[in-house]
Amino acid sequence: MQAAAMDPADEPPSMLWGMDPIFSAFARLFVRDILQMTESVQVPGIYFYNLHPIYKVDVLGTVVYKRERDDFFCYGVDDGTGVINCLCWKSNLLKEEEDPSKSGTKHSDAAEGGFDLVAELRKLRQKQRKRCHLEIGELIRVRGPVKTSRQQREITASTYYKVDDPVMAVQIAWMMEVPQLYRLFYDKHFQLDEAGDSAETSLSKATNIIKDFLKQRLVAKFRPYDVQDLLQPLISGRLQTQSAGQEAVAGPSGCQQLNQLLKEVLQVLQDQGTVYRKVKSQDEVYHVTIQDKDLLITVKDIIREDSKREKYAEKGCHILHILSAVRQRYSLNVSKAALELVLQTLECDSDIVSTSDSHYIAF
Amino acid sequence: MSMLPPTAVFRFPWEVNSIKEGESVRTFGRLVCYQPDESKATLTAQHASKEHRVFVQTQFVEPFNPIIGAQYLVLGETEMYEGVGVMVRARVLNCVDGVNTALLQKAIAEQRSFFAERESKQGEVAQPQDVT
Repeated sequence: MQAAAMDPADEPPSMLWGMDPIFSAFARLFVRDILQMTESVQVPGIYFYNLHPIYKVDVLGTVVYKRERDDFFCYGVDDGTGVINCLCWKSNLLKEEEDPSKSGTKHSDAAEGGFDLVAELRKLRQKQRKRCHLEIGELIRVRGPVKTSRQQREITASTYYKVDDPVMAVQIAWMMEVPQLYRLFYDKHFQLDEAGDSAETSLSKATNIIKDFLKQRLVAKFRPYDVQDLLQPLISGRLQTQSAGQEAVAGPSGCQQLNQLLKEVLQVLQDQGTVYRKVKSQDEVYHVTIQDKDLLITVKDIIREDSKREKYAEKGCHILHILSAVRQRYSLNVSKAALELVLQTLECDSDIVSTSDSHYIAF
Repeated sequence: MSMLPPTAVFRFPWEVNSIKEGESVRTFGRLVCYQPDESKATLTAQHASKEHRVFVQTQFVEPFNPIIGAQYLVLGETEMYEGVGVMVRARVLNCVDGVNTALLQKAIAEQRSFFAERESKQGEVAQPQDVT
């Protein structure tokens, strides 16, 4: 029943397994696939489906075999694609037998017509027991790690329960959903982004470098050349990896790359609202939004004045109303993102308070 | 050592009569007749304006409360009987009255087309599968 062993060289290194989100999930594989998964050479007990590391699964199927012992049930579960053994340990609660004499005396003490705790507990225990005791033909849901014991694959249930499915709605939904999961996740290859210097990662690295600098130095305003040098190490690193064992490529020089990267970073920071250009002129001056004291004071004043007006007294000022007022009074170039940062700062300082998701009022 | 029964693959009622003996199947139908003395139940299903019948040997699942007209799900092995043809010896016989048979058919078809799709993809990659 075992499929051909996967080439050990194909296995992704175990260090990277945690990066695959399926590894941490209870994979809803068909029983057929669970039985055919190849066991890892690196770590026995972990299995592979299509290069995804798997160790715990989730199945829904009919009980076709049952074996009971003092401590556990062994249910054979058939989901229409395969049959697998599920080892279901009995919880201590269920193993206790009812002691009739004990419950008898307690019953007489219970308040009449009131909430009888003992009886309720007994009912609860019975319900729990019913959920774990299954007969052949009933539907069971099992989740747990896969083990190979005595050359047979089995699931050691961490959770198991009887599913009430009188009109097969649950089974039908499962049959429709699982192929979708396969198409979207399990049959897609485990893509691992090796630490590559892709254009996107270096942009986010660069953005963070500039942001950290502005924050630490409490910079209020700056020009591009002030922060240019911060990005130099990224460019040199990139050039080094490029030149390492490659012929000279007619590409942009280090200087041009630096300028390009800086331009992109400044655009990102503007889009995020972290910086803005108060005055758009030849002189490229960027203001750091939350360090701009005048801006903060202006926004505070706007909200305070308008909160006094009857129109806004109860609900507060909508962010778009504040935005248009700021643009009129202060600078046309304040973006909504920048204003949101300002409002957050003011709220943290308890100068204003938000009455709803987008309404603000002064104290 | 646990001896697990073989997998009962989902089949449509109109496919059952062409299955060979000894196969484990899972199918459904409406109960129209039950003969307790012979332990024989008859399920029917409509398909392509024809009524298809599935005969079920109910010895292993008795006693069961027969609700004539209700939908049932049967799981068991096919056997050949003289004069009757294919019968399913039921290991499981569940009343699933109220089931949306159209949706159930769709789900079975969906599962099958998924497996067929996957097999054809694997065939394209042309990996030698060691099926023991």
